[in-house]
Amino acid sequence: MSEHFTRRDLLHKAGRGAVLATLGGGAGFLVRKAHGQVVWQVDAARCLNSRLGEVGVAACNLCTTECVVALSAVRAVNEHSRCGRCNICPAYFNITSAVDDRGLPSEKLCPRDAITRRPIGKADPEDPANNFYEYLIDEEKCDGCGKCVMQCKEPLGLGSIVLRIRYNRCVDCNRCAISTACPKDALIQVPVEQGLRNDGVH
Amino acid sequence: MQYRQVAVIGGKGAGPGQFGTSLRGIAVDATGNLYAANDSQITVFDAAGRLRRRWSTSQPAHSVAVAGDGKVYTGQIHQIEIFDGAGKLINTWRDEALLGRVTAIGFVNGDVLAGDATGRAIRRFDLSGKFRNNIGRDNPLNGLLVPNGVVDFGVDAHGIIHATNPGKHRVERYTPAGELLGHIGHFHGTDAAGFGGCCNPTNIAVRDRIYVTEKAGPRAKVYNFSGELEAVIAADVFDANCKNMSVAVDRQGRVYVADTVKLAIFIFEAVAV
Repeated sequence: MSEHFTRRDLLHKAGRGAVLATLGGGAGFLVRKAHGQVVWQVDAARCLNSRLGEVGVAACNLCTTECVVALSAVRAVNEHSRCGRCNICPAYFNITSAVDDRGLPSEKLCPRDAITRRPIGKADPEDPANNFYEYLIDEEKCDGCGKCVMQCKEPLGLGSIVLRIRYNRCVDCNRCAISTACPKDALIQVPVEQGLRNDGVH
Repeated sequence: MQYRQVAVIGGKGAGPGQFGTSLRGIAVDATGNLYAANDSQITVFDAAGRLRRRWSTSQPAHSVAVAGDGKVYTGQIHQIEIFDGAGKLINTWRDEALLGRVTAIGFVNGDVLAGDATGRAIRRFDLSGKFRNNIGRDNPLNGLLVPNGVVDFGVDAHGIIHATNPGKHRVERYTPAGELLGHIGHFHGTDAAGFGGCCNPTNIAVRDRIYVTEKAGPRAKVYNFSGELEAVIAADVFDANCKNMSVAVDRQGRVYVADTVKLAIFIFEAVAV
């Protein structure tokens, strides 16, 4: 084995191959688990990036740096039913960047450009504020760094963006590396059925 | 222009003059008495900040306003309760369609205005409670952009309604009939003259000037009617998690701001410089 071949690489290959190829996605992964078993999930009420009351602090990116899966098995997810569909979304824009000639912040927040913004319906060319906007997160790009989650939460936003473990990526370690590192004990084990609900698989 | 904090009223607690779990609206009457819509009650303080009286509302109170005749209007879910100055219930207007969540109440030309956060509009009623027209709804978005969940407005001496439209980072001017006359304000993330975040300003009071509050970070500011920032009244005193801080101004120009986390009303006065 190459000296540059890390445990993360090994688990990434093995985990992604086993989960994606053999089971074909998160639902398959969970269905494989017997009723009554547990899976890891991020508790948004504990996560530093999403828990209320934590304002004015830098986003925690331990889900990115500690997970054994490449990029991380954790992704940011926008719960659209809770999203304000704002013209200026603090999770999309760097809201302290210079304002451009359209009256919008000139920089995006996401370092991996994983969020796209598109008008809902016909945009008003004269006034971009005169519209709702949809914010979509590309999970292939997202590495779960939590920056958008921190900016989206109350009181700045509505808390529609949260971090979630994606079961088509998670390799289900017995001792989750993120849970060991998380200062808020936000990685919890939940019943498979709850994991399915949280993952949007019913 | 600069402001200094001169007093704090209330605070979280069960004692007299304190607030239990919520402080959503404040108003000042013509004699300087301060009214708070807190929990499921109205609490009244005199101009010196002493507790005068309080009475219960049938539901949690989301807003309060005092009419020229001394009647006290309180906005709630699906209704407005109207009390006399002593707290005796006079009337209740119920309307599930037009009074979703009433987060602001005001008066113009003998009519009553209700800010309906559910409908994202201001509803205009006559004094009998008969609906007359909407304000802020005749636009492509069918209403004001209020992801913060509050519609708020003030009425100037000429009967012009100044409504916050936080999703657009503006304060818009309307006639009582609902015609949009113009706006002040723009987004800016670092310049105090602009409105920051996703959606500001959240709350407003109008007298000789336009007084607003913002969330994340919470602050109170005052603008002239041309939209020029005259002063940041205060920022650091408010809890960082505050949002939707109701603001009121009395005849002496004292500014009252409700901290929705500390459950306290901060009072500021302009100081000569």
